[in-house]
Amino acid sequence: MSDAARGPELELVFPPKPEFVRAVRHTVAALASMRGFPDELIDDIKLAVSEACTNAVVTNAEAADDDGAAHPVVVMVEADEEVMELTVLDRGAGPHSEISGTPVELSTEDLPFDRALSLPLIRGLVDELEITRREGGGSSLRMRLHHRAPEA
Amino acid sequence: MDLDLETEHRDGATVLTLRGEIDVYTASRLRQSILDLVEAGTPHIVVDMARVDFLDSTGLGVLVEGLKRVRSREGTLSIVATQEKILKIFDITGLNKAFPIYGSVEEAIGEPVSGV
Repeated sequence: MSDAARGPELELVFPPKPEFVRAVRHTVAALASMRGFPDELIDDIKLAVSEACTNAVVTNAEAADDDGAAHPVVVMVEADEEVMELTVLDRGAGPHSEISGTPVELSTEDLPFDRALSLPLIRGLVDELEITRREGGGSSLRMRLHHRAPEA
Repeated sequence: MDLDLETEHRDGATVLTLRGEIDVYTASRLRQSILDLVEAGTPHIVVDMARVDFLDSTGLGVLVEGLKRVRSREGTLSIVATQEKILKIFDITGLNKAFPIYGSVEEAIGEPVSGV
């Protein structure tokens, strides 16, 4: 893990639009590959971060309907050879509250999809999951996936 | 990689072959394809996911919606999946019990598998 005072190893900030989710999961997967994570675990990491980002995109876009502007989605990644920690922040105050006002054209009607399967899927993929409310609104979803040693 | 969709009619079934990634950005195209098939009166749909590189819960939601619509017309919607990463998603969500899942298109449409 990197030094907390130095900030996350990787931080991605993107507008709450569906087309950016793919870029995020491929970027996170590239970091996991650099750290030597096996392909099977990289698949889990890609899916978990994609689910969390999609939920944040929907949440932030829905909030934007009221005032015409939306907070970006923030993804922070810490990774070493043993564990990958992913934190996804949706709208609200906190360390990223100053980054706001990104105009979005997305309407919730553009996303007529059932999101009910998302959290059960995340729970089935990650080793640890922590969801907390952020001061001022929004939530933080933190996931940890441990590097599983190959079976002997 | 984006999502490519191709339909083919085979032995009373319509095979919808998918290649690429199914996520919140591309799922709407899958949804529309399934809705079009249902509206056209297609009774038996086989969704071939053998070459799908990525599937998320958005895609699963689209498949569940399609299954409900097809069943309301007494049709079927089957899945072809061979990759562990895709099968795992059906297992975790319990949808492996909702969808008939086959290892090949031939199995899904009931054709005899060559060599058997």
